[in-house]
Amino acid sequence: MTGAIYSEAVRARCREPRRAGAWPAGADRVGTGSVGSLDAGTWTRLQVHVDAAGRIDDTRFKVFGCSAAIASASYVADALIGTPPSAAPLLAARDVAEALQLPEDKRHVAALATEAAQAAVADWQRRLGAENGAPPQAAASGGTR
Amino acid sequence: MAATRAIYLDHQATTPVDPRVLQHMLPYFTQTFGNPASRQHAFGWPADEAVEQARQQVAQLIGARAKEIVFTSGATEANTLALRGAMAARRDRGAHVVTVATEHKAVLDVCAALERDGCTVTRLPVARDGRVDVAQFTAALRPDTVLASVMTANNEIGVLQPLAALAQACRVRGVWLHSDAVQAAGHVPVDVEAMGVDLASFSAHKMYGPKGVGALYVRRAPKVVVEPQLLGGGQERGLRAGTLNVPGIVGFGAAAALARAEMPVEAVRVASLRDRLLAGLHGALDGVTVNGSTTHRLPHNLHVSFAGIDSEALMTCLADELAVSSGSACASGSRELSHVMTALGHTAGDRWGAVRFGLGRGTTGEEIDRAVDCMAGHVTRLRVMSPATVGATA
Repeated sequence: MTGAIYSEAVRARCREPRRAGAWPAGADRVGTGSVGSLDAGTWTRLQVHVDAAGRIDDTRFKVFGCSAAIASASYVADALIGTPPSAAPLLAARDVAEALQLPEDKRHVAALATEAAQAAVADWQRRLGAENGAPPQAAASGGTR
Repeated sequence: MAATRAIYLDHQATTPVDPRVLQHMLPYFTQTFGNPASRQHAFGWPADEAVEQARQQVAQLIGARAKEIVFTSGATEANTLALRGAMAARRDRGAHVVTVATEHKAVLDVCAALERDGCTVTRLPVARDGRVDVAQFTAALRPDTVLASVMTANNEIGVLQPLAALAQACRVRGVWLHSDAVQAAGHVPVDVEAMGVDLASFSAHKMYGPKGVGALYVRRAPKVVVEPQLLGGGQERGLRAGTLNVPGIVGFGAAAALARAEMPVEAVRVASLRDRLLAGLHGALDGVTVNGSTTHRLPHNLHVSFAGIDSEALMTCLADELAVSSGSACASGSRELSHVMTALGHTAGDRWGAVRFGLGRGTTGEEIDRAVDCMAGHVTRLRVMSPATVGATA
C-alpha cells in the first residue's frame, strides 16, 4: 500500500501472527533460541520441534518488538517447517527482509529471527547430545549470523 | 485507504479542515484570486482585505494586535524565523539560547543549527511530569542570553508549561521568550499578554484550518525584532517575503474565529471524552500509565504507556481500525525512542509502549468506547506474544 511503512505481508503477520506461542521450557524434542532483550527494545524467542525423522515439524515464536520483528519471526517460523535442522543456518536475513519487503531501516531486524532460529537448532542439538551422552556443548543464546 | 469506519484519534498530528472553514476559503482560489500585493488594481484589493481580516481573527484568538501577526508557511517556518531571526537581530547582546529537552524538533533542530553557527544552547531537563522547573530555568538565564524558547503545550504528552512564570524571569533580565504554541492555540486559551511571551508560533492545520499556513506573533511593545529569513518581495512588513497564500490565510482566520467561539464548550466536551477513554483503558487493561502531568495538560490529549508491548507493532495492528500515534508523527518513520519519553526519564521497559491519543471536534463517545475495545484486544494479544510471558500461549 502506498504510503504505509510496511508491506501487506508484514501487516498481515502482525494482525494474525502465524505460529505465535511457546512450548514450556524443557519440552520434549524442542530447541529454544532467544535473541535480544526487553531493555534493548527487541526480544525474539523461537522454538523448533524436531520429529523422529529428524525434520522440523512445528515451530513457535514470541516477540517483544516492532512490526518487522514480529513478521520476521513469524516468517522464519513458517519457513523452517519441513526442513532439517541443519538447514536453519542457511536461512539468510536478507532473504527474509526481501520476502517481507522490509523498509531499508528495518532490514536488520530480520537477523534477529534468523539468529533465534540458529540458536534454537543449536539448543536442540545440545539437548539431543546430552540425551545421547555426548559432552554438552556451549548453551546457545544469541546464535551466529 | 483505511477502512471507512476507522477512528481518527490523531488530532495532534493534524486536524481535518472544518467544512465551515473550507467554505470561507473556496472563493479565494478561483474568484477572488488576486495577489494582495497588487494594490494598484481591483483584483488585489479584496485579497488584501481578506488577508487583513484573517490577521485580525488570528490576533484576536491570541490576544494580540493584528500588526503583530506575520503569516508563514507553517509553524516550522515560524519557529525558524523566531529563533534564527531573533538571534541574528540581537548579536550585540550575545549568542546564548535557553530551551527545553522536550521541545519539538522544529525548535531543537534550529537550536542545533545555531550551535553549529557559534551560538551556545542550554537544554533544560523536565521533571517526571514533563514540566520545566522555573527556578532552574531562571538560573539558566545569563547576561548574554538572547532568547529562551519553551513550548506552550507539548506535541506528544500535551503538558502545558508555566509560561507566565518563565516570561517574568525573562522580562526582568531582558531575555526574549519564544513559545511554540501550535498545540495549544485554539484548544485552550492562549493570550500572549497574559503569558508574557515575545514571540509565538502557530499553525492553522492543528485547529481545523488548512495545511501550509502558520503565523509568528512578534511583540511590538516592548518592541521585539527578528531578522527576516526569506528575502524578496517585502511582504509581511519585510519580515517574510513571498506571495501570500490567500486561501490558506483566509482559512486560518476562519479557523481561529471558530476556535475562539467554540473553545469554552469544546474544551470541556473533549476533556470529558478523554477522561472516559482513560477510565475505559484502566478498566480493560492492567499496566496503563499516563505520561506527563494530568492537571497541566491539553484537554484533548492522552498519552499513556502500555507495559510489555512495543507501540510500533500496536500501530501496525491498529492501522485499519484506529489512528493514533506511537510518538511524534514526524519521528514515527524511524525506530528512535521518543526524545520526549527519554526526557521524562522513563526506563526502556515502559517507554516502548507509549501511545498518543489526540481527540478532536468530530470525536464521539461511541468512538471512544470502540477505541477502548480495540486497544484492549490488541494490547492483550501483543502482551501474550511477548517472550516475557512465556508459559502462556498465544
